[in-house]
Amino acid sequence: MVNWSHVGLAGLWGGLLALERRAFLQAMVSRPLVAATGMGLLLDDPQSGLSIGMVLELFYLGSANLGAAIPENDTLAATGTAAAAAGLAGGTGLSTPAMWSLAIICFIGLGPAGRFFDRGLERYSSRLAAKAALSAERGDLTRAVRQNLWGMWPVFVVFGVLTAVCALFGFLLSPVAGALPLRVARGLAWAYPAMASVAAAIAARGSHARNAALYAGLAAAAVVGVVAVYLASGGRL
Amino acid sequence: MSSTALQAASLNQQREVRLSHLTLLRVFLRSLLLQASWNPQGMQNLGLAYALFPALKELYPNQDELMAAVRRHLSFFNTHPYVAAAILGGVLHHERQIARHEEPPERVLAFKAALMGPLAALGDGFFWLSLKPAVGAFCAALVPFLHAWAAVLFLVLYNAVHFSFRWRMFRIGLALGDRLVEAVAKANLPRRGVRLRALAASSAGALAAWLAIVFGQNEEASWAPFLAGGCLVVGAASYWLVSKRLSKYVVLYWAAALAVAAGAFL
Repeated sequence: MVNWSHVGLAGLWGGLLALERRAFLQAMVSRPLVAATGMGLLLDDPQSGLSIGMVLELFYLGSANLGAAIPENDTLAATGTAAAAAGLAGGTGLSTPAMWSLAIICFIGLGPAGRFFDRGLERYSSRLAAKAALSAERGDLTRAVRQNLWGMWPVFVVFGVLTAVCALFGFLLSPVAGALPLRVARGLAWAYPAMASVAAAIAARGSHARNAALYAGLAAAAVVGVVAVYLASGGRL
Repeated sequence: MSSTALQAASLNQQREVRLSHLTLLRVFLRSLLLQASWNPQGMQNLGLAYALFPALKELYPNQDELMAAVRRHLSFFNTHPYVAAAILGGVLHHERQIARHEEPPERVLAFKAALMGPLAALGDGFFWLSLKPAVGAFCAALVPFLHAWAAVLFLVLYNAVHFSFRWRMFRIGLALGDRLVEAVAKANLPRRGVRLRALAASSAGALAAWLAIVFGQNEEASWAPFLAGGCLVVGAASYWLVSKRLSKYVVLYWAAALAVAAGAFL
């Protein structure tokens, strides 16, 4: 059954973070790690939010808003995927790696989709800039500079609605997810660490470090070595 | 100096050209909305005019002068949103001089035009391409240990640098004007950026290894170590594929399909 208060909360959080990412502050509250964890906490499924946030943080680590280029919308990908995962968990009663994988596989495309919407919103901002110039010509300076604030409401509405739709889809997909054969569910559970490994590799590549492969490889070898010694001495993870 | 010019100078001295602390705070807070109406033509022009408006109103009681000041800041402007604080401070420094008729309005336009490009490159290189990946990867690597607190730590670490930098640059720009370039150079951001990028790559590698081991441990089957090893191989192969310019989405779906098939048939 659809939990409409969760759908509404997802929309509100998604809209607010879209503003934070694009229009106000840029204090990184909209980064996947924070955005998805916050979504999970709001929708009573912190584990899904955190697990998805960690993978997507790594997956989008190298994306940056440079100059006039529009990067993929990592915030929409994070909030939408986490909202859908919480919906899946709400519908099936399961918050497992299989559900997180399913959510990531189905909703990670929101990153490029969000870029499409960002482009559309720029056209609206262009109209505001023209209106501001006209108001300044007419001597209405307060109106001219206030146009800056009008650029925010469509961002909130568009991305809020998109995130709410993702939460709704999560609930609607839950009967299908609950009916998956055990073998497929086990495969999806395996897909989570595989996708996390891919995301970590993409993060190392996206770190822009000169010897990224070397640093990542050495750190991975160090972790494997330390854990092997720990396990050999009778410790348990 | 002619008597008219002397009269004008004496009038300017009498005129209040100082900006109150409250106005400076308002300008700084409004600068957080710099990108609210980012557009392809003027880029951050509306945000800049919006941020400066309270200060311009205080500096130019004359409506015509105010109108001219707002118009000159509605022209094209684009830089990194954090280092924009330094430019904003510098613009106020120049606008104070312009209001006192100590320099022509063209100076502030030249100041913006000269600095916005180089400072954008500096801000992009340090904040977007170094600090953000480093703190993001480091905190993601701490998720298995700190859980949701890793997200809180991310915000604290990043914003401790971000907000202190933004406020300091605003004050420096305000005090030094053109000479803010020397102060920014002293911060030595490019060298710090190199170290942060190494931290980002190391954190990502460490997390990949840790996750592979933990998931291997959770599988009770005898071939669990192969599962852990398989994850590491997938990671290494992904790095190679992405470096060959294959789309990261394709790589992710490839790995997911491989894992689903393995899980279903083994």
